Parts: sequence; structure tokens; C-alpha cells
Amino acid sequence: MIDFVAVEQGLALLFTSFSPWMVVIPGIVLGLIFGATPGLQISMAMAIFLPMTLYMDFVQAMLFLTAIFTGGSFGSGIPAILMNIPGTSSAIATAFDGYPMARQGRHNQALGIALVSSVLGTLMGYLILFVMIQPLSLMVLKLGPSEMFVVILWGMTLIASLKGEQVLKGLMAGFVGLLIGTIGFNELGMARGTMGQTYLLDGVPVIPAMMGMFAASELFKLANKGFIVESKASRKVKVSEIFEGFKMAVRYPWVMIRGGLIGVFVGAVPGVGSSVSNLLSYVEAQRRDKDPDSFGKGNPKGVVASESANSTSEAGSMATLLALGIPGGGATAVMLAAFAMHNITGGPQFIRQQTDVVYAIIFANFAQVFLLLVIGLLFIPLLANIIKVPMRYLIPSVLVLAVMGSFGLTGNMTGPATVLVFSVVGWLFRHYGYSVPAAVIGMLLGAMAEKSLLHSYQISGGNLGYVLERPITLAILALLLVSLFGKRLLGLLGGSRKPAGV
Amino acid sequence: MTTHKRDYGDLLVLMALAGFTLWYLLDAIRVSSAVQNLLLILPLSLVVLAIVALEVGLRLKKGTLLVREESEDEPLHRTLPVVGLFAAYVISLETLGFDVATVLFVAAFLILKGERNWLLLGGYSLAFGFGVAFFFAQMLPYPMHMLILQG
Repeated sequence: MIDFVAVEQGLALLFTSFSPWMVVIPGIVLGLIFGATPGLQISMAMAIFLPMTLYMDFVQAMLFLTAIFTGGSFGSGIPAILMNIPGTSSAIATAFDGYPMARQGRHNQALGIALVSSVLGTLMGYLILFVMIQPLSLMVLKLGPSEMFVVILWGMTLIASLKGEQVLKGLMAGFVGLLIGTIGFNELGMARGTMGQTYLLDGVPVIPAMMGMFAASELFKLANKGFIVESKASRKVKVSEIFEGFKMAVRYPWVMIRGGLIGVFVGAVPGVGSSVSNLLSYVEAQRRDKDPDSFGKGNPKGVVASESANSTSEAGSMATLLALGIPGGGATAVMLAAFAMHNITGGPQFIRQQTDVVYAIIFANFAQVFLLLVIGLLFIPLLANIIKVPMRYLIPSVLVLAVMGSFGLTGNMTGPATVLVFSVVGWLFRHYGYSVPAAVIGMLLGAMAEKSLLHSYQISGGNLGYVLERPITLAILALLLVSLFGKRLLGLLGGSRKPAGV
Repeated sequence: MTTHKRDYGDLLVLMALAGFTLWYLLDAIRVSSAVQNLLLILPLSLVVLAIVALEVGLRLKKGTLLVREESEDEPLHRTLPVVGLFAAYVISLETLGFDVATVLFVAAFLILKGERNWLLLGGYSLAFGFGVAFFFAQMLPYPMHMLILQG
């Protein structure tokens, strides 16, 4: 399982010279800034600074990029907690309880919980990666398109049914999101729903749409408020309360371990990654809790579940990238570009021939998490000051950042126009009780769901019996049905038993 | 006790979702009726339309088709000026440039929300608007349309 000679060589790669470490602190700081600024993305930071890695050797380049990744995955939780604006889709579930905590004046604790969960999550993820990289890569290889499709459907159903009383509206939002995600060219080169507009041929730009649905629509809702946190006493930033958050996070080790395991395994599935893992972990934490109704109202366990899962997903997606050469998302796609810039091809060959480099990357990440703890702690008081800013200053500033960031992603006016359209959609969805996260996740996964289904259809030759030969697909389908109808079924069973017992 | 008020918006959003789904399905069929093209879109659209029908049916049964439970949310019309201002900002980017449009948007927003300290209002709009436009223009690899600053 572990090649100890390569371990020794990996350590030598890292510690014979100080130069690989010189890029780690700037990388974490960049990740924190880009992750914490609504509208700027981790993948964008990595893409912008990718040319700089040309002047670095491969290990140094990977350390720099993974440092941005590590800093960014915690950074994106900061606006999720303070403004209900997840910096990226991996922090969606962080906002579910982090933001209510901030509204209750417990923003310091929420940030402390997020930091410790991120640090311990990343550590746990890379530890698992260290031990499991080879078996994990074999497991990911066994996931075919039909499994991918049902994983997406399952994730969607879970997310859509989060708001128990509005399941129908949640499902509607999620499924319409999936449909929007398929707009543009499909695998066969047929363009649907483009209204003749060339800029829609590649589909609706998902990240600008996400900015509109999450950020702008939420800001519209807050437009008539004075401050994010109305009470003056509650707006104080106290390091002692951040430390209190540290203690609160370690009080729920099982939530963290479960989130970590979900994160690493879901993170290893290409394309799904941290966008789904944080939500799955959150749903699991809520489902297993004695008081599920307290979730969404400021339960610290919600923040622990989400942050531990999205941090471990980094290690999971790194496993797929290193072992298979497949990027799990935007950030690992940039890393793949860095591989190409250094004439390295990821995949089983890479793992076999350059095990020392793989281990060096993993060990460097162990060190990065401790640096994140220190740097994150220094940055939280600075970034937490956002809630002291009056809303009339904060709202237009964040809207402008979202518009500029969306322009940065598309390079033309498509980005800002998408933000505008989806901000109105999100605003109406929020007002009338439709699930905004379900719609966004649907948009993110629509094209992938269609591709997976199409590949299953091609492999099976249109024979539905093919699904019956896929035990993992059947197991996930069963889980999907249980998550949709399980409660009702249990209720019915309980109801039918009651009279007998009375 | 929950109170209800007349609200056509909820039904309109529901109908808009059904309308979009139907239009998209027909557009996809128009492009190609091959199984490969409709493999996901057809069943998914039918599910959405079925859910809309179920939701309408349930509301008709409860007599709540055109009414909505009172919520703590702000009424939509109170937020409409902010949405309108944001729309005007995005639309004006190509004519006014990212620099001037941003300064005007921030200033207009501050006035709309009651800022009457003119020094702070002018200072912040100018500093933030020009500062952020300049930052992005330097960071991004594509040209940004500007009226005063260098794009």
C-alpha cells in the first residue's frame, strides 16, 4: 500500500532545499483572498497565477497551486458565513448554518469552527490519500457512466428535498436547473435552447449564474437592512470567540470524520467533487441528528459537516487527478494544465514512475494545513470586519465585484448579463420558496448528467436490462428512493403499527 | 395562525417554470427527435410538468391557488428599485465603461439607501469605482471597456 523508499525520496525532495516552501505562504494568502471575495474563484486565482509556475520546478509549482486550493477552500466559507454568499459551490452548505449563526451574532464562533474543520478536514483527506491512493484510483475506475448518473440524481434529490415542507418546489427547482445545465451543444453537436445566440452554444455560464442566484439575489433581499448583523454588540470581532469556535468544532468528532469520509470519496468522483460532498455531508449530519429541525437555524454541526467535507474533497479530487489524470473540477483542471506545462501526464504511469513526487505533494499538504491555521487565524479578524460595514456600502460593492468577476470568467458581457438574469431568477425563487441551491447544483451537473446517461445508453445499446447488471447503480438507486420516500414509508409503517399497539 | 393574502406572483413563477420547460422541450425536439438528443431532456421535462400539475392540483384542492401565506420577507415592490438600478448598471457597462458606470452605480445606490454625507458618498463611489475597475483591468487578460481609465 505504501512505498517507503518513495516516502524517503519524497521527504528528500521537500527538505533538501528551502525553495519549494517559498511559494506556500503566498499561495495560501492568495487562496484566502480569492476564496473570500465573492465573485472571485479559486480556479480563477490558480488560472491567473498559472503562468508564474513556468518559473518553478514541478514540485514547487504543485505546492503553489495546492496552497491556493487549500487557502481558497477555507476562504470561500468566510463570505458564506458572513454574507450567505458561498465563495464557491463547495461552501454552499456552510452558509446553511454559518449565516444564521452570523445573524445571531455568533459569526466569530462560526468562523472558528470553519477554520478548524477545514484544517482537520484537509489533514484527514491527505492522510487518507497517502494510505489509499492506489486502491482509491482502482475504485474510481470502476465507476461507470450509469453510476455517475445515479450519483448525480441522488445528490440532486437530497438537495432538493432539504426543505421538508417544500419538496415539490425543491424538486422543480433542481430539475429545471438540470435542464438549464443542458442548454447548448450536446455530445453529438446538437445545440438546444440557444435562441440563436452564439454565446449560449457552450451552455449557460454556470459560475456567473451561480453568482447571480446566490450573491445578487441575497443582496437584493438585504437591500433594506442597515447591517448584516443589526445588533451593534453582536458585530464585535473577538479572537477569544474564534477560539471558542475551535473548541466547538472538536466537540463533534463523528460529524467531522463522517464529513471527511464523504468528502474524500465523493471528491474522487470527477466533476461531482466538493460541490456535492459538502451538501451530502450536511444532509447526512442533519438526518442522523437528534434534532434535525435545528439545522438551517444556526447549528454548529452544519458548519462542521460542510467544511470538513469540502476540505477533504481536495484530497479526493487530487487522487483522481494524480491517479487518472482526470480533473475533478475547475481547480484541478488548472493543475492539469500545470502538469502539461511541465511535460507531465497524470495517470497510473505517473503514480508508478514518480511516486516520490506524489508523496512529496501529499507531505507538503500536511505542512500547509498548519500554515493555514496560523494564516487563517491572522486573516479572520481582517475579513470578519466585513459585517461592520453598513449594507448600503456593502451591497453595491459586492454586486460590482460579482459583475467584474463574471466578466473576468467569460471575457465578454455574457458574464455580467448572466449575473443579472439569474439574480432576478434567484430573487423570485427565494421569495416564493424554491430551493436556490438545488437549482444551482442542477445547472452545474446538467451537462454531466446528460453525458453520463448518453454513455450508458451507448454502452448498453439501449437495453434497460443493463442497469440490472450494475449492482452499484442499483444500490445508489435504492438509496435515492429511500431518501425520497423513506420517511413517508416509515411514517406509514409506524402509523399502521400504532393501532395494533394501542 | 397563518394568514393568507392574494398574490399572483407565486402562480406566475410556477407558470413561467412550466412555460420554460415546455419551450425547451419543443426546441430540443425541433433540433432533433433522436433518442440520443432527448434521452435526458424528455423524461426530465415530463417530470417537471407533472410536478407543476401536481402542485396546481394540490393548491386547487386547498383553495390556495391565488393566495400565499404571509411571510416575513420584504414585499417584492420594496426591492424593485434596487433590482432596476442593478439592471441599469449592467446594461450601461458597454456605453459608460466599467469605470464610470461603477462610480455612478455605487453613488446612485448610496443615495437611494439614504446616504446624505455627500463627502463620504462622493469619495467612496469614486475611490471604489475607479479602484476596482483599475484592479480588474490590470488583473484580467482581456480588454475592459473604460471611459476614463486605460482598459
